[in-house]
Amino acid sequence: MLDFIKKYQTALMAGVLLFSLGAGVLLNNQLRHLRESEAFYRWLLAAAVNERLFQENEDPSEDALFFARCTALAEKFPSFSPSDKVDGLSMIGSIAKNYENDKRLWFFAESDLAKEERAEFLQLAKKQKLQFATDIEYAEAQAGGVNIFNLFFGFRKVAANLVWLEVDRYWHQGNVYRMQTLMRTCVALDPQFVEAYLVGAWHLSYNATAQMQDTPWPQREWNAKYGQCLGEKERFYYYGVDFLREGIRRNPRNYKLYFDLGFGIYKQKLEDYPNAVKYLSEAIRLPHDRWVPRQLFLCQELNGQYGDALEGWKDYVERYPGSMTAVEVAPRFIMRNEGMLYEKEARTLRKKAKESTDPAEAEELRAQAENYWKKARDTWNALDDPYGEGRKLMMDALDLREEGRYLEAIATLDKARWDTGALFEEFSSLIMEIKLEAHIPLSVSEKKALLRESEVGLCSGMPDEERQRRLKSAESIESTFQ
Amino acid sequence: MTFLSSVFGGPWCIAVYTYREGIRRKLLIGFLILSLFVIFGSSFISSFLDPSAETDIDLKLIKDICVTAIAIFGALITVYISASVVPAEMETKVIYTVLSKPVRRVQYLLGKFLGIQLIILVNLLLMGGLFFIALYMRQGIMPTLLLWSIFLTYFEFLIISAFTFAVSCAATSPLVPTLGGLFIYITANLTEYLKDVEHRAGQTGQFFDNLIGKIASALYSILPNLQNFSIKMQIVNGQPNDPPTDVLIPWLVLYSLVYALAGFACAYLVFRRKEV
Amino acid sequence: MTTVIRTTALNKIYEGAFRGQDVHALKDLDLDIRQGEIFGYLGPNGSGKTTTIKMLLGLLFPTSGKIEILGSESIDSATVKRNIGYLPEGAYYPDFLRGEEILAYYGKLYGLRGKELKKRVDETIELVGMQHARKRLLRGYSKGMRQRIGLAQALISDPKILILDEPTTGLDPIARKEIRDLLLQLREQGITLLISSHELLEVEMISDRVAILFEGVLQKIGSMAELLTQRELSMTVDHLSESSVSDLTDKGIQVEDRTGNRAVLRLPFYMSSYDGVEMCKAHSLNLLSISPRRETLEELFVRIVSTASKAREVVQ
Repeated sequence: MLDFIKKYQTALMAGVLLFSLGAGVLLNNQLRHLRESEAFYRWLLAAAVNERLFQENEDPSEDALFFARCTALAEKFPSFSPSDKVDGLSMIGSIAKNYENDKRLWFFAESDLAKEERAEFLQLAKKQKLQFATDIEYAEAQAGGVNIFNLFFGFRKVAANLVWLEVDRYWHQGNVYRMQTLMRTCVALDPQFVEAYLVGAWHLSYNATAQMQDTPWPQREWNAKYGQCLGEKERFYYYGVDFLREGIRRNPRNYKLYFDLGFGIYKQKLEDYPNAVKYLSEAIRLPHDRWVPRQLFLCQELNGQYGDALEGWKDYVERYPGSMTAVEVAPRFIMRNEGMLYEKEARTLRKKAKESTDPAEAEELRAQAENYWKKARDTWNALDDPYGEGRKLMMDALDLREEGRYLEAIATLDKARWDTGALFEEFSSLIMEIKLEAHIPLSVSEKKALLRESEVGLCSGMPDEERQRRLKSAESIESTFQ
Repeated sequence: MTFLSSVFGGPWCIAVYTYREGIRRKLLIGFLILSLFVIFGSSFISSFLDPSAETDIDLKLIKDICVTAIAIFGALITVYISASVVPAEMETKVIYTVLSKPVRRVQYLLGKFLGIQLIILVNLLLMGGLFFIALYMRQGIMPTLLLWSIFLTYFEFLIISAFTFAVSCAATSPLVPTLGGLFIYITANLTEYLKDVEHRAGQTGQFFDNLIGKIASALYSILPNLQNFSIKMQIVNGQPNDPPTDVLIPWLVLYSLVYALAGFACAYLVFRRKEV
Repeated sequence: MTTVIRTTALNKIYEGAFRGQDVHALKDLDLDIRQGEIFGYLGPNGSGKTTTIKMLLGLLFPTSGKIEILGSESIDSATVKRNIGYLPEGAYYPDFLRGEEILAYYGKLYGLRGKELKKRVDETIELVGMQHARKRLLRGYSKGMRQRIGLAQALISDPKILILDEPTTGLDPIARKEIRDLLLQLREQGITLLISSHELLEVEMISDRVAILFEGVLQKIGSMAELLTQRELSMTVDHLSESSVSDLTDKGIQVEDRTGNRAVLRLPFYMSSYDGVEMCKAHSLNLLSISPRRETLEELFVRIVSTASKAREVVQ
């Protein structure tokens, strides 16, 4: 054997060379397939996230149309079953909702079944028709464009880091627009640079707007995408929103992006509690830090979802019984939400009692309402903090209102709103409500508060339909004034 | 056992000698020291950042810079050592004392190649070790993903070293193989552009245009593509939605071994009748 | 006597790159080297000596012709190579190794292992007289010591054939003598030595046979006795008187180049150098120098090379 090898070693080595080059060709194809599949998989995740979270009355884009074709195919994938499907979502959207299914989605993206769709994806990405396929790692490489990023020889991440240092420098110089451009370059180089999205959105929504005044309404312009009148300052909030959305599409499993969008922008800046709850709920579905759910519970409370908040706090205490939050903080919020639930229930029952035509039923309902009202009061007593005190005063005011003692009710609420800063807005609204009910003239500032510009304000570029709606709304509110 | 000893004993001996001789080279030590400075210095890069932004950007910076430093300096070390081992022996005439012994040329090449791999591995482990310590001190947990990154980096270098080694077997001085190795490294990272040429070709319908496209396609299939190893950067940061690496990593290892074998075969075919 | 190395019509042409000329380095070389002899392989620079040696070792490949070593044409085989030791000219040995380590390395390349390797290392080190420095790093070795280690690595496998390229170049006289003595000792042990050297005096001292090469063509091959011309003994003397001149002339001695009392005496072939010395004593002559009866190797070498050179010019 050894003699044979020695005799023919040149021919054997030439054979080895040809064999290895042949094997190299096969492996190149296999790796190409894996990388193409990865690009396709990442796009599917991005599109699924978009379907679940961001698709709000937008015209169907190329991404959406192609996604629809892919989901139709996914129905036939053996590993996916009808039980995976969630109401309101496509098959892929349903699978992608739970991060633990990512591997299953990957196998779909990589499968022979999806071969044609994969090829079509690459074609569309190459023609830059897929919005979500720009800068997805490997997508541009697969698309085969003359990609300047490839010149970095895979050192795109370091280039992104160096660009980020420039972003930081521009921020300290106060050069916001240049900073914005560079941020986009940074995340184009490294789409997985999560901190760039987080800090970038923070810069846009907080720091860039810190020195700005609220734009007067006449100077605002209508933004069709968000259905809002936005000035320069307000636009920056939405730049932050867009930036984080982009980050979420590219990094759909990083809770921090959802958290910053929900809490940092929607709650803190836009006071848009429904959206805050929506994104914080996404955040806790992923591996997250311990403090994340607490912010969700707060937003749920602000959004009037007292039952969800209560459940959440109780669950938190069960999970982390020894923690400082569970011992010192959670009990207060549990009581707050319980109290709010009792109040809400009591009001609902009172309303039903008023509307009921059956006296016996009405009496029963009133008794139940009183029971809940008492429970609420007991809860506020037990809470024993300014919030609880404020709510007790509010309950007193509402009782006075029931008795027709409007002025006393208003006085009580006035005291309450100054004592409990957190409830100022709510109590102020209640005062105006009572005044209107009691036909007490509103002050100028109260009239102004009712005619919220967010509901009746007009700006240039506003569609006629919206303009008419707001004008009617303003008329309707003004008609309630004395 | 005697058979194995007779076939592989010589190459192993040459490999150990090559390692002991190569690890002492001044240029190699210089590259290594530079890389250690960069890795160590990356810990200070966070001083350029806004301290009020409480994020892990500095950790990401350290990881990316260190992985890149290891990649760059590792590539330089790989090219240099792969390019110089055989020509240096020819210049100093040591090769005469070896090939005049009962050592076949293929055994000699195998020994040299293994010695080169030992040098590359040791350097990678040194750089990776310092990186490991820097990360552990920064984040307080064992950065096990880094090990995979270093692992893949080695297999990327294996391809470069094999083809550089093949070039060096044809040369009498280290200069040409060094330039060749750098050229191989650059072109292997730019193989993706051949795909672009393939896609853009054939638009005029002319024969020459189509031919260019076909050649580009063939070259794209045959030539090693180091962009496949860009996962080593991604893996260090370990995002939750990354595709399963247990699928990709074994393929990459096999890919590397196959091309290393091709490179070694080229080296043998060049060297077998080379007059020293 | 058995032939250990034989070349038959060996040719080597170096092909010129691009439009350069081909170089015919070796032309139809027929060489045979016998067992147990010291064979001197001589020639001016570029004559093809190193080319021949490299082809014997498989480092270069013949253009045509045959090489047989120890009766085998497979010169690349392990069996043949195990019986050849080679000391190249000016070889470099790594400074970071010790003397015994470098020998162990080369011993392993020969396939020696374990106790056998250790035994051979010890024996070879003792043979070359490097016991005192075996554990020293090579960077602490003198040139002579390095050359001894080089010789030791060539001897580590106890070869039948030893090929040495310029073994004494750059060494001091004492070191040269020691190397010469060692080579003679090796011949006594039955090893065949092929020495390529420009140190003609040394080659003449120890070689049994020599071959002289010029521009790839073998000019002469044979033993010293065969090659070196016998000639008259001549002595340069002083204090020569007129009476001595006539006496010397009567004895058949020619007196030439007389300058005062100094002259050159040419003795007839039947008179030995001893006779010449006695004669000087008898005539109270002061003997200044005595030139050998036999032509030196250097003289032979110069003669042959200049003849060949002139012949080449005539052809051109």
